Amino acid sequence: MNSIIITRAGTHSTIQDFGRFQYQHLGVSPSGAMDQRIIIELQKIIPNHQNQFIEFAYVGPSIKVKEGSIKICVGGNCNMSIQKNNSSQLECQPYKSINLFEGDELIIHNTIDSVYGYIAFEHGLGLEPCLNSYSTDTKAGIGSINRPLKNEDAFHISRDVSSWNLISIPKPDLEKVTNFKVYPGPQLQYFSDNTLQSFISSVFTITNQSDRMGIRLKGESPISSESHDILSEGILPGSIQVPSDGQPIVLMRDIPCTGGYPKIAILNEADISRISQLPPETKITFDLQTIY
Amino acid sequence: MYFKGINFYGDRGLVLDFGNETSKSISQEVNETFLNISNLNLPSLNIIPSFNKIVVIFENSKIRDQNKDKISMKMKETNSQTNKKVTKTWGIPACYNENFALDIKIIQELHQITKEEVINLHSSVRYYTYYIGFMPGFPYLGDVPSQLITPRLATPRVKIPARSIGIAKNHTCIYPKVSPGGWNIIGQIPFDIFDLQSSYPSLFLPGDEVKFYSVSLSEFEKIRKYNFSLNELIKEYSS
Repeated sequence: MNSIIITRAGTHSTIQDFGRFQYQHLGVSPSGAMDQRIIIELQKIIPNHQNQFIEFAYVGPSIKVKEGSIKICVGGNCNMSIQKNNSSQLECQPYKSINLFEGDELIIHNTIDSVYGYIAFEHGLGLEPCLNSYSTDTKAGIGSINRPLKNEDAFHISRDVSSWNLISIPKPDLEKVTNFKVYPGPQLQYFSDNTLQSFISSVFTITNQSDRMGIRLKGESPISSESHDILSEGILPGSIQVPSDGQPIVLMRDIPCTGGYPKIAILNEADISRISQLPPETKITFDLQTIY
Repeated sequence: MYFKGINFYGDRGLVLDFGNETSKSISQEVNETFLNISNLNLPSLNIIPSFNKIVVIFENSKIRDQNKDKISMKMKETNSQTNKKVTKTWGIPACYNENFALDIKIIQELHQITKEEVINLHSSVRYYTYYIGFMPGFPYLGDVPSQLITPRLATPRVKIPARSIGIAKNHTCIYPKVSPGGWNIIGQIPFDIFDLQSSYPSLFLPGDEVKFYSVSLSEFEKIRKYNFSLNELIKEYSS
């Protein structure tokens, strides 16, 4: 038996996978990793990850091996180090597999000029899925762990590491994008031509009121619409909705299942991952594309 | 027929449009269509019915575009077909005891009726499940009798107890678990309607019919003690 313990939970650390689908008509959000590009990359190094990734934001967790040994890989742009049992300290890098032995502690200090990072564990974390997914939706209290991780959380990984060979991949090119090509939203007709013109010519700032549910933007001036209240309808991540204060919200992975605000535009799937990595105060712009 | 057509929603979604009005007959068509589309077993990620729209989400634009025609064809087919009714009718015990009926006085005062009249009116109607949303397993039921139509609370409650029955505008609902919310709370049901342990976690489905019947506090507590599983509830309370 191999076991690990969370010695410092970090901020917003949760279990995530590629998402929970087929339940949105019952009010269950799709959730899943905010930056899906990174867990796709981590699959190349830890193919047997069992869909049980730890996601963290800004400050990463610290994880200590209590018993046995494990093989992991970290993804994202982050500072980290390993405190060895013999009290020496090792530097380590994302996208390179890491072997950790009894007493070793992986310390992920922080993400650099980005928001989210991920850890993949060979053979997973010994968790059971909830509604066919390991993802945590903290707002709905759903998940293999239905809350953020906390100090002293322990995981047991029954299978032993398959091979100590170190594997690495070139650091993926997760270029920082601040201009997003968006598709027209389902309520485009609620917005006048002038409003649409100002939507694509304005600069928006990502605010710190942003989380897994949505990224709140602050525009140079509020966006006006014919009505700020529509009948609730199904929504998908990436939708940009405009509530009555005229400041748009980009809906993210822990989306409310139905929404009653008009949606001016929607990001493509890849851009949801890209925008999730932009820290507060980043300036962004939108381009409206009309070809599907 | 209310179906207007199919529109794109971003690079991987479709919206089936049933107009901008809301009524039980529109919702019946939406929910029958929802079942028809679900039965196509398309490689979709989610199919989400609401009052007058159905949103279908795919993994990417390629898969969406490959499957759009199948939905269009099904819509033409169902135009000339009457649908078999596969939804359930529920008889749900409701306790309107003052311990649970936190806002019943608001409704009494607004409509100048007695507590008994509120209870009789609320439990006299067979409600239609418009859709499930807001939170996991939360049914939008309607329409309540006109004498019960009441606006949302001016200040939403921070913590509504689990299993509470609420009224807002012409809808009534059941809160599956503790939640903030603005509905007027008039009672409570004695069992959970959403269970993560079940492979099909929601007791109600869009299109189901729900009738409440009033039970005393002692009956309520007796049923509460049974601790029914969803499967047992389906046997016990649906017809």
